Amino acid sequence: MKKLIPTGEMTLGPFFPREFAQGANDLTAVDGKRAKGEAIEISGRVTQVDGKALDNVVLEIWQADADGRYDSPDFFGWGRAATDADGVFHFKTIKPGRSAGRAAHINVLILYSGLMRQLQTALFFEDSDDPVLSAVEKSQRSLLLAKKTGPHAYRFDIRLRGEGETPFFGD
Amino acid sequence: MDYAIEPRPAGTQSQGVEPGYAHTANRWPSRPLARRPHTAAELSGPAGLLRRLAPVRGDLAGYGDRRAIGQLIHVRARVVDEDGTPVPGALVEVWHCNAAGKYIHPNDSNDAPADPNFYGAARMVAGDSGLVELRTIKPGAYPVPDSGGWWRPPHIHFSVWGRVWLSRLVTQMFFQDEPLNEHDAILNAIREPEARSRCIARLAPTAKGPADALVYEYQLVVRGRKAAPRL
Repeated sequence: MKKLIPTGEMTLGPFFPREFAQGANDLTAVDGKRAKGEAIEISGRVTQVDGKALDNVVLEIWQADADGRYDSPDFFGWGRAATDADGVFHFKTIKPGRSAGRAAHINVLILYSGLMRQLQTALFFEDSDDPVLSAVEKSQRSLLLAKKTGPHAYRFDIRLRGEGETPFFGD
Repeated sequence: MDYAIEPRPAGTQSQGVEPGYAHTANRWPSRPLARRPHTAAELSGPAGLLRRLAPVRGDLAGYGDRRAIGQLIHVRARVVDEDGTPVPGALVEVWHCNAAGKYIHPNDSNDAPADPNFYGAARMVAGDSGLVELRTIKPGAYPVPDSGGWWRPPHIHFSVWGRVWLSRLVTQMFFQDEPLNEHDAILNAIREPEARSRCIARLAPTAKGPADALVYEYQLVVRGRKAAPRL
């Protein structure tokens, strides 16, 4: 069978409906039930080449539950947030467990005006032996580690381009 | 390395930095994108996204008698994978401007009139054949601020989920025979003409569709295949 070529990606543009990005950044409960595990907050700031903070950037995440499962009936590992005028986003979630062959991590994708395609990256909680983290040059790996800022709080800043540029993954 | 989902041919995807679109040089990474192995994290994905995102009705043509102004259209968009197999249950978000080229968005500074009967956003779920049907009005063209005369051709934004995390697709659907298509920095960032033409919806014979609307057909191909091994 002839393989079809995936449709070309294009930018999200500046007018992504605000309501589409609201109310989806809390993963600690689903269907009214609280997920088990350590509830954490992740926040960060998204900036461009000159350090300017970006408003209304859409971030989507995908992660395992506290036991490292992606098909948990009691946890829904997908969420979406948008940055505010200061470029800041927030997620509430459960700290993911290790899954087969992988360190604890959260997949992150970024959509924005001026980004012609989605950008994919991943957040790790500590430097670890992980096949995806290892795909990044050693000198850049610390940029994928979330900083612990409180007992249950982490910070993960994203620099799209320029000094301290976040490592991103391609196809 | 294990790539369960094949890389896409470069010419079929948008350039990261596009000279005709100034913001791309501020935002697209300067370093090459790293290649990572595909593990369970990339080859799984959220099933039943409506648990987190509420549906928004798929009729943007107005509210009963209060009809949105513009040419009534009916878009049949089919979500399929790389084998051409439909992706039933795929969640699809769409948004677009009104017939005068104005978005319902606080950031839209275009001096064009709003249409009180037009609400430009919908969230739908594909049926068994991967089909979503959108009833709406044809969006207008609009000028891009501070761009030296760049006008966006009429287009509809699509945001689609396929079977797994790597299937995610955000794109724009264009209309056949629009003269502005030829000059659009976003459409033409896809260098391969055939790949570009697949981003343009085709006018379908009206006998197949509702009598009061122009029918457009469009296909969204998401990455991944049903047969792909799940790790």
